[in-house]
Amino acid sequence: MIALFILLGVGSLPADAIAAQQQALPVLEKHCFKCHGETKFRGGLSLVSKQALAKGGETGPAVNLKNPEQSILWKAIEYDGLEMPPAGKLPEKERGILRAWISAGAPLPEGKAIAKTEEHKKPSLEDAKTYWAYQPVKLVQVPQVAGKQPGNPVDAFLLAKLQAAGLGMNPRADKRALIRRVSYDLTGLPPTPEEVQTFLADSAPDAYEKLVDRLLASPAYGERWGRHWLDVVRFAETNGYERDGPKPNAYRYRDYVIRSFNADKPFDRFVKEQIAGDEIDPDDPDSLMATGFYRLGTWDDEPADRLQATFDEFDDIVATTSQAFLGMTMNCARCHDHKIDPVPQTDYYRMLAFFRDIPRFSNDRNVMSSTSQRDVTPKEKRAAYEKELEERERQKEGLTKKIEALEDVIIKRMPAEDQRASEGLDRPQVVAKLKNFWTEEEGKAVRALRQERDKITRMPTPSQELALAVNRCDPRPPVTHLLVRGNPHAQGQVVKPGFPVALGGAEPAISDAGPQDRSAGRRKVLANWLASPDNPLTARVWVNRLWQHHMGRGIVASTNDFGKFGTPPTHPELLDWLAGELVRNGWKSKPLHKLILLSDAYMMSSAANAQALAKDPNNQLYWRYPMRRLEAEEVRDSILMVSGKLNREMYGPSVYPPIPKEVLAGQSVPGSGWPVSPPELANRRSVYVHVKRSLQLPVLAQHDQADTDTSCPVRYVTTVPSQALGMINGQFNNEQAGFLAKRLEKELPGNLPGQVKRALWLTTQREPTEAEVAGDLAYLADLNRRGLSAGEALRQLCLVDLAASEFIYLD
Amino acid sequence: MDTSRQFCGRTRRDFLWNTGAGFPAVALSGMLGSDFLARATRAADGTPLGNPLAPKKPQGDAKAKAVIFLFMYGGPSHMDTFDYKPKLYPLDGKTIPVKTFGRGGHKDGGRAVGPKWQFKPGGQCGKMISDLFPNLRERADDIAFIHSFHAESPIHGSAMLMMNSGRLLSGHPALGSWVNYGLGTLNENLPGFVVMLDKTGGPISGAKNWSSGYMPAAYQGTILRANGPTINDLTLHEGMTPANQRRLLDRLAEKNHEHLATRTDNSELAARLSSFELAYRMQATAPEVADFGKEDARTLAMYGIDKPRTEDFGRKCLLARRLVERGVRFIQIYSGGAHNDDNWDAHTDMVANHGKHAGNTDLPIAGLLADLKQRGMLDSTLIVWGGEFGRQPTAEYGQGSGRDHNAYGFTMWMAGGGIKGGVSVGATDELGAAAVEDRFHVKNLHATVLDRLGLDPNNLSYFFGGLDQKLVGVEPVEPIKKIMA
Repeated sequence: MIALFILLGVGSLPADAIAAQQQALPVLEKHCFKCHGETKFRGGLSLVSKQALAKGGETGPAVNLKNPEQSILWKAIEYDGLEMPPAGKLPEKERGILRAWISAGAPLPEGKAIAKTEEHKKPSLEDAKTYWAYQPVKLVQVPQVAGKQPGNPVDAFLLAKLQAAGLGMNPRADKRALIRRVSYDLTGLPPTPEEVQTFLADSAPDAYEKLVDRLLASPAYGERWGRHWLDVVRFAETNGYERDGPKPNAYRYRDYVIRSFNADKPFDRFVKEQIAGDEIDPDDPDSLMATGFYRLGTWDDEPADRLQATFDEFDDIVATTSQAFLGMTMNCARCHDHKIDPVPQTDYYRMLAFFRDIPRFSNDRNVMSSTSQRDVTPKEKRAAYEKELEERERQKEGLTKKIEALEDVIIKRMPAEDQRASEGLDRPQVVAKLKNFWTEEEGKAVRALRQERDKITRMPTPSQELALAVNRCDPRPPVTHLLVRGNPHAQGQVVKPGFPVALGGAEPAISDAGPQDRSAGRRKVLANWLASPDNPLTARVWVNRLWQHHMGRGIVASTNDFGKFGTPPTHPELLDWLAGELVRNGWKSKPLHKLILLSDAYMMSSAANAQALAKDPNNQLYWRYPMRRLEAEEVRDSILMVSGKLNREMYGPSVYPPIPKEVLAGQSVPGSGWPVSPPELANRRSVYVHVKRSLQLPVLAQHDQADTDTSCPVRYVTTVPSQALGMINGQFNNEQAGFLAKRLEKELPGNLPGQVKRALWLTTQREPTEAEVAGDLAYLADLNRRGLSAGEALRQLCLVDLAASEFIYLD
Repeated sequence: MDTSRQFCGRTRRDFLWNTGAGFPAVALSGMLGSDFLARATRAADGTPLGNPLAPKKPQGDAKAKAVIFLFMYGGPSHMDTFDYKPKLYPLDGKTIPVKTFGRGGHKDGGRAVGPKWQFKPGGQCGKMISDLFPNLRERADDIAFIHSFHAESPIHGSAMLMMNSGRLLSGHPALGSWVNYGLGTLNENLPGFVVMLDKTGGPISGAKNWSSGYMPAAYQGTILRANGPTINDLTLHEGMTPANQRRLLDRLAEKNHEHLATRTDNSELAARLSSFELAYRMQATAPEVADFGKEDARTLAMYGIDKPRTEDFGRKCLLARRLVERGVRFIQIYSGGAHNDDNWDAHTDMVANHGKHAGNTDLPIAGLLADLKQRGMLDSTLIVWGGEFGRQPTAEYGQGSGRDHNAYGFTMWMAGGGIKGGVSVGATDELGAAAVEDRFHVKNLHATVLDRLGLDPNNLSYFFGGLDQKLVGVEPVEPIKKIMA
């Protein structure tokens, strides 16, 4: 076949091109055609004919006729960026043949343009014009339902679909189930028995609404909902990799998030601060801390390929930003066009260009790099410390004068040329020789003064507050290229910052940074676009997350992916209505929480119902409230709360609860990076536990804590024996069971039935049945007969109660 | 209601949600373009709820059912072990031009360090193997040597991630996680992915090396010790006796059954109930595996357990065999831990460093091969030996015989399940500086392991972050056919 090509194809070429082609073909046949031939064409590239080559590969033409040395093919065979063939660099002789052939214009026989069957059908931009997620949020009418029209629009939307399927909503859950459900949903903590009793006794029609208001106003709300956001932004306090070194002051970002939720900061503002806080409001500490968003990802302090690492870091930012705010998986378009969504590869690099002014986390191994630490001292405090710094400078100047005066006395005894040199730039060299000329007394005096000066120099800046953030951005960032197959060593066309074509593809005019600007001003433009009510995705994606954490799954179940790989919305009209409500409420989340929480849908029972199960077994239509297991942080925090040990102190540097040595043994230096906190501090809520990428607290890891290397939109819920082992043998559960036993003895001394009941109240938040109490008492009696002390027996009962499904699951 | 076409009373689609898989983690082994539900159907393929480790049928013809990965952490020198370089000896001490890239950066030349050991032929195949491995040399006919591996990083942290998870970037599941995801476990009473660490400590990046990344934590490696408490949380807490624990579990089960009674449609609760019984049985099973009381003296001696020097690694190798016998899919044993010369990272003195680590492991590994063979288990157990990279032909410093890291070319070997013995493929240049012939990427190793287990490396995928993630990445990767039996 190849021979045939040669015979047919050479007719019209100049002689030297014919020679180059005749030499090249055997080399191509031997080394390239296996993957770039007639039947296989990796990367969409075939080299078998003139027409095939002309068509190029997925990433464009393989040969650059004007500048042959810049050809992808040339670079690939020279192992410059790309490496072809992968099995080994060709010998110089064969490479020479191919280089000569490329220089000669890469002549090939005539033939068919190969039909690129391997290449998928590219998603059409036409799709973007009809695909629901890219259309403006619709102004929707609340549907009319059969029977009494619900007061809450949420119910109207759900009922309309339920009724169409011949279903209705479950009856309302009992009040105890409801207070448990809503307390956990809003605060991540169980209600106390007293709170339950108060609520049960409150027969006022607005008892539940008052409860919702109280919980929404609780500072624990920010701790719970902030944690959801921290999942999405891959929050961690270390960099990962070999050293897994710290990200100093990362806790300020966490605190910023918690504060923002508690203040019900409008979501559009929340977006803008994280994307461009430093550009929008550089004097506002919160806005600066928010840009810690960019610094939370993994960072390799010793990359094999620095350029590759740089673009891996940008990829982390593009992936997280597009998934967190837009529900778009733009990261899929790093190496080629998105396989299914209308996101061409250029979109990825146009998005990346917005972030191009952000410097690397650090350019060396220094984790305190000034590129990632920013002074966030509040203005008034800053004035105070600037005064202090000025004072120090004055002191230093005074000391310097004294030192120089003393030095001059000694210099006068030195040779003339030294005396002269001391008057100019070479003074340090002269000063270095002083010790040969000074008297013991003089030396002592000089050294003492110098020490005093050094001490001041080394003093930490008083009350300066640093935060993990972007800093020292590049106001005039380098040009951004599309990278061929994502390879940073293979630059393609130049791109400018621009929005995804699926969303209009505008290329905003961004003026060049002025001399005073500290950044390129591009992120501000992106932030305003993201946080605009006209953006079809931002509000939808956020209300979908609100729904997800109240109703068990998002209306779009794939909450980070609103594209075609994601799941279609079960209730698109409701999604749009909620998105509209968010904007109408000034992007505030608390009114939406309240709206959802006061719906019949939220308040209905989770019980099964044979008819509904048969028609809608997976509850797509929400005929019942979905049961759920507590999340990792809720498990740990609840155990601490019940044992009476939970420390409710908020904010500040993270804490390090003890980790069993069996787990630490996995580290190359066991215990490194984990300075165990004293018990009081260690017992703070899990959101304040240090997030170390390579080391997790077992009780959190066992219950499917979020993986921190990438954005985590939905937690896993696995049921595995390691959880059970932790519950019965783990150090944490056993210790806390002991504390709970002591608490019971202290609260109800000598009253064993009372203690048993109290333990049940604390863990189940309901009135125990007589049979239950009798069963527990019989169990204790049995343990006593087996020779256990009353205290140890009670501790073991507490261990049972802390492991019970009723404690760990919500109806 | 009819639940026969559902899993534990749920639909397949629901299964995905409630295993927490949600969409971001739809387990699938399929090609692009098939619709979501079809993939979801395959994803669920009968796996009971809450038990991601239930056994699954391999996709293809399985030659091996378990893997023992002997990880020589730190990077063993190929030219001092299995890659015979006769022309390097006479260059010792001479400055030679050679392109290298290691911890010390890119260099164009340096002081050559001649191999520090002599090589002799081993087995019928006559494979040249250095005196560092006199015992392994005897098993050369069982082994396939691949001399032409290359990797993307000569820095431990990222190179370890590459060897364990196929990526330089953190966050991807380890090979052992993929194997368990693809095949499930054969013994529910034991973890499916076991890691045994060196007595000096874990490797750098610790648990990231056996992390399940974006997959559920159930697929991550479990640290098992050959001495002392075997698994975290497996020993009874102070004050607890086995009888009282049984009593405790009974009382707990009563309560949990009562809770379940009105929620029978929630199979997660039933799974949780049985997980406590499973945990209870694990407490007995794991120590039984680590109890060598029934192994005869001859067997112990084969592994070098009777000699102080080889006892530690020997115990791990024997434990690995016992784990394979009990259905564990993937076992990784680290030779070397912590930092510097506690592992194979010989930056200053080749003789002291490699002499120590090879001396600790040669006999146990040879014993493992021989023992598996005599029990007829070698045919179904895949052994992998190697580190995260190799070492350079030149010295790193002005003084001493230490070599810097080398990801341009290095040797690994495989043996057992579906692997030809007594063969060598690929080659580095005459100095051992870079792979030049039949070059193989780390991904080819991963593809070979999956292929031998009956999994299709280019088809075993897991949907996450908008992508069909594969261990071997986007581009198709071939297994190393030349070593496949």
